[in-house]
Amino acid sequence: MAEEDISKYLRQTHDRVFEHNRAWAKEQGEKDPGFFAQLSAGQNPEYLWIGCSDSRIPAEVITGLEPGEAFVHRNIANLVCNTDLNVMSVINYAVRHLRVKHIVVCGHYGCGGVKAAMTPKDLGILNPWLRNIRDVYRLHEKELDAIPEEEARYNRLVELNVVEQCRNVIKTAAVQQSFAKDKFPIVHGWVFGFRDGLLKDLEIDFEKMLGDIQKIYNLTE
Amino acid sequence: MAYANDQDTFLYALSSNNAWAGYKSHQNPEFFPKLASGQSPKILWLGCSDSRCPETTILGMQPGDVFVHRNIANIISPTDINTSAVIEFAVVYLKVRHVVLCGHSACGGAAAALSDSRVGGVLDTWLTPLKAVRNAHREELQAIRDDKARAIRIAELNVQQGIDVLMANATIQDAIEERGLDVHGVLFDIGTGRIRDLGFGTRKDGGRGGSPDEVVRGRHATLVFRGGNASMKVNR
Repeated sequence: MAEEDISKYLRQTHDRVFEHNRAWAKEQGEKDPGFFAQLSAGQNPEYLWIGCSDSRIPAEVITGLEPGEAFVHRNIANLVCNTDLNVMSVINYAVRHLRVKHIVVCGHYGCGGVKAAMTPKDLGILNPWLRNIRDVYRLHEKELDAIPEEEARYNRLVELNVVEQCRNVIKTAAVQQSFAKDKFPIVHGWVFGFRDGLLKDLEIDFEKMLGDIQKIYNLTE
Repeated sequence: MAYANDQDTFLYALSSNNAWAGYKSHQNPEFFPKLASGQSPKILWLGCSDSRCPETTILGMQPGDVFVHRNIANIISPTDINTSAVIEFAVVYLKVRHVVLCGHSACGGAAAALSDSRVGGVLDTWLTPLKAVRNAHREELQAIRDDKARAIRIAELNVQQGIDVLMANATIQDAIEERGLDVHGVLFDIGTGRIRDLGFGTRKDGGRGGSPDEVVRGRHATLVFRGGNASMKVNR
């Protein structure tokens, strides 16, 4: 592409965003004239969604939840790391201030972050972040090593990563204390599949997991 | 008690996904197979976790179009490993064309930063950069009488500060130099649903400004850029 064409192309892709936004705002306003006024009054979401940054998994689009219904954090490979103040602030705010009823950790098959984490390469600033996925592998080394087919092994790692991140959510003081007092939030682990567009519920036994981790991680007393 | 209803909302999300997936594949049988083959988003969106700012929805875009990081008050901290990893992955490996940092009106984080009370837990630490913005612009912010307008002004200043951090990021600097990556600061007005380009970042004029009309003929349509607007005509 000539330089002029490139700059035209860039302008188009950027302007397309504003064009689409104008169309969307107009359509919402026509469908429900009070929509934006009500939104600006405040938020009262039932969900906290912790998902992957991957462009193919916009939380609201795939779940049909409207603006105002899900508080959202998305990062590389939907990780919940105990020293990451970014995600810890999100959980704290969602549980203690918004009092969400459900926390969903949603991973997806074919996750590029999970693949990158298992590549024997130095990826610079990505190393410390992706290291957490290698740790998940180490925790489940036997089970994963026993899966001969590569794609199936990655897919299982994606599921195990979601379960582990759910466990990390449950370890937080905010979740433990809120559940002890109010019986919410409930933590769920889901995996999104691109082949059919469907969400799979990993059916994590939240109360059992909470009881198990509290032997060591109890922060409620 | 309220719990039974909450469980209904939860089941709604799962069943709604089922309906959406069915509708999408009926409408376009190639949709999911194409998604499964990989992603090549053009936009990295850095926005607020606020439930009223679902990026793909408000942009009127589709799954596969926007790579996303959302945190409390869309704060960009230079040493935050979470955001840094997202930027690295999106800019170096996915080679997005645009980085869009989006603030919004009525932001709870902005309100917290404007107040003198503590939020509690890790939040006060996370909000420190926003508090610093408030302190740096204390007089200007104090002079604004209307609470909503003051919250919008600090949200704008927060985006400006975030853009400064992004422009100082080595990965972003390299991509601007090597392939003309664009960095934009915008504000979403929850009261109207509109996004406004604040003109920060790589395009200081916030768009084309007063430049003359520009016509781009594509294979199926013709785009006309006029002032800050674009329109499209289908070719006959």
